[in-house]
Amino acid sequence: MMKRVLLPRAVAGGVALVLGLSLAACGGSDSGSGGSGSFKVLVYGDASNKVEKQIVATFNKTSKVKAVLQTIPGADYQQKLQTIINTKQAPDVFFNWGGGSIQPFVKAGLLLPLNDMIAKDPRLKADFLPSVFNSAVVDGKPYGIPMRGTQPVLLFDNKKVLADAGVSEPKTWEDLLSAVKVLKAKHITPIALGGGDQWPTLMWYEYMYDRIAGPGLFDKAMSGDKSAWAAPESRTALSRLKELIDAGAFGSNYDSVKYTDGGSVALVAQGRAGFELMGSWYYSQQQQDNPDFAKTGLGYTSFPTVSGGAGDPKDIVGNTNNFYSVLKKTKYPDAVAQFLKLMYSDEFVKAHMAIGNLPTTTNTTNFLNTATDPAYAKYQYDLVKAAPSFQLSWDQAYPQSASEAMHTAVQQFFDGKLDADGFIKAMQALPTS
Amino acid sequence: MTTTAEPRVARRRPVRRTGAAVVRPGFVWAVPATLFFLIFAVLPLILVAVLSFASWDGISAPRFAGLDNWRTLIHDHVMIQSLWLSVLITVLGVVVQTPLSILLGVWAAGHQRNRAVLSAIYFVPLLLSATAVSILWRALLDPNFGVPAQAKWLFGDGNLFGRQTSAIGVLVFVGAWQYTPFHTLIYQGAARAIPQVLYQAAEIDGAGRVRQFWHITLPQLRNTMITSMILMVVGGLTTFDTVLILTQGGPGTDTTISAYYMYQRAFKSFDFGGGSAIALVLVLIATVISLIVVKVSGYDKMRGTTEGL
Repeated sequence: MMKRVLLPRAVAGGVALVLGLSLAACGGSDSGSGGSGSFKVLVYGDASNKVEKQIVATFNKTSKVKAVLQTIPGADYQQKLQTIINTKQAPDVFFNWGGGSIQPFVKAGLLLPLNDMIAKDPRLKADFLPSVFNSAVVDGKPYGIPMRGTQPVLLFDNKKVLADAGVSEPKTWEDLLSAVKVLKAKHITPIALGGGDQWPTLMWYEYMYDRIAGPGLFDKAMSGDKSAWAAPESRTALSRLKELIDAGAFGSNYDSVKYTDGGSVALVAQGRAGFELMGSWYYSQQQQDNPDFAKTGLGYTSFPTVSGGAGDPKDIVGNTNNFYSVLKKTKYPDAVAQFLKLMYSDEFVKAHMAIGNLPTTTNTTNFLNTATDPAYAKYQYDLVKAAPSFQLSWDQAYPQSASEAMHTAVQQFFDGKLDADGFIKAMQALPTS
Repeated sequence: MTTTAEPRVARRRPVRRTGAAVVRPGFVWAVPATLFFLIFAVLPLILVAVLSFASWDGISAPRFAGLDNWRTLIHDHVMIQSLWLSVLITVLGVVVQTPLSILLGVWAAGHQRNRAVLSAIYFVPLLLSATAVSILWRALLDPNFGVPAQAKWLFGDGNLFGRQTSAIGVLVFVGAWQYTPFHTLIYQGAARAIPQVLYQAAEIDGAGRVRQFWHITLPQLRNTMITSMILMVVGGLTTFDTVLILTQGGPGTDTTISAYYMYQRAFKSFDFGGGSAIALVLVLIATVISLIVVKVSGYDKMRGTTEGL
């Protein structure tokens, strides 16, 4: 008797695993709100949602067809999007990073090319900076409208910590190394790093490779020439990074710290760390978590120059912007077009300025002075305008299928579990298309 | 006279009823359960088996890929490592939880009021979802703002999630924190069911508390131990949420157990074919392990522990 009952049960236990796969795919929400007269807008959940909420409210005031905002918090956005995009729960309009992040959807024929909308309202294209707008052009057709601020990665710091230690914001790599030494001697973690999230660690590689080799090396690797990773410049970049890690720049417990749960943010705000390398959204994050510190204590500068490197010191890395893309099967393309027009409105620009984001519309310059911190807005704007190259984050440039293996390699090299050869091999193994 | 006739009828009926109960219930009774099992267990299993021979990114139509997924799986060192990690976490879970829950369960089996109150409190972690528990411990174990920051003598730099040994330790600890109460409950019930005469006899023979525990309580709990261990093994092999939230398989791939690796392949790298192949391997391994446990423990011909009483 026992045997007969147990055998199916043992199988069932295993099957529960399999079920997890199929059930997770069914996890939709808000199916009720998809009734007549509304379309769904899906957005990555973070501090910028304040503006998205405001814009949706503005739109709903005048429009008969209502927009419904849905947010997915933090790092799992792309996974959830991919699982629902070809189902009934799919949104009509969704947030993305342009480029590689929407390419598979375009290939599968799910997205609406925006040519018709632009033909009806040319401002949907003409009112955005071309370099930004073009990151969401796939196979010659536009698929995205910029919907947030541009996000260059900057080196942030706690001004008070630096002043107390007698350190100034580093201009060169040598400056940074000596600042690390001074801060470490004072028992302050020189650089906060949310290594548990892995992608903050990646930013150090992106800048280092650009400073040493220029943007060409990564472009070459992306085009499929995997020998680029084994080039001498690649090894130099890795050894420079190693130098920084070995100097104790990140402390020893960075892999237990996360950016996404506010751990590394608090370290800097409380003066227990000196620097943090992060996207420009860091400002609005600090403003939300520690408003007083954001106002008076938060410093920022660009990534230091590295002597002997081929890259232009004015190069930046990060996300050019985020985009709204539209699904082909939306029932209300006209209402969606009206909604997208708000992305170049004055209200949109002002609302983003107020939380420290820098929109990439042509009317942005008119409002630089209305930002909560005009100096920060102007600094970013000039930085982006002057940059000869704006490298899209590696994990967004590569196909999504590569990001997991890339993040693992990035973390393991920082931990010393992979040496330069191991890291190069791991990067060469990534799929590029 | 009428009164004597009635009991006769009444007496006959129960006899007929018990006779009917001996007949095995028809197949119809098993239909609901069988249907559920077919729809929610067998069907997905077949679909996953089919998918493991296909290449599918979740958006476009699946493509038949032959043995490709299986070939990559065999040569994938992360996969092989993940199997060992799954087994390690399972074994550690059993080793840590079993003695704890036996001791707690036997202790809680006493009828003293304070024990009843305390065991009610011990039960609380089980009422929380594994996700909530993991988030709680992730925050508590933060190296800069959590417990490790206050107890440097014990945790050093607090890099619990940055080293393989301590990351596995955290997973085992959090698992034990959450599931020990459940197994305690099982042992409490079992310990209460042990006939008191055995203890009375032992006392007369001069056995002390410790001897009573070793020679009466433990042998009497044998069947319960097997039940509890099988539950622990199944739970250990399917551990997922704690890994997802606490370590995300990191540092690197140091805590990437099979169930998490399956998720990673399917939902993070969008390789549903490869993910399905891993799922199938897990089903096979879980089945084999369960069969071994059944055979070795003699669960299939389990004997009563109260023979001769």
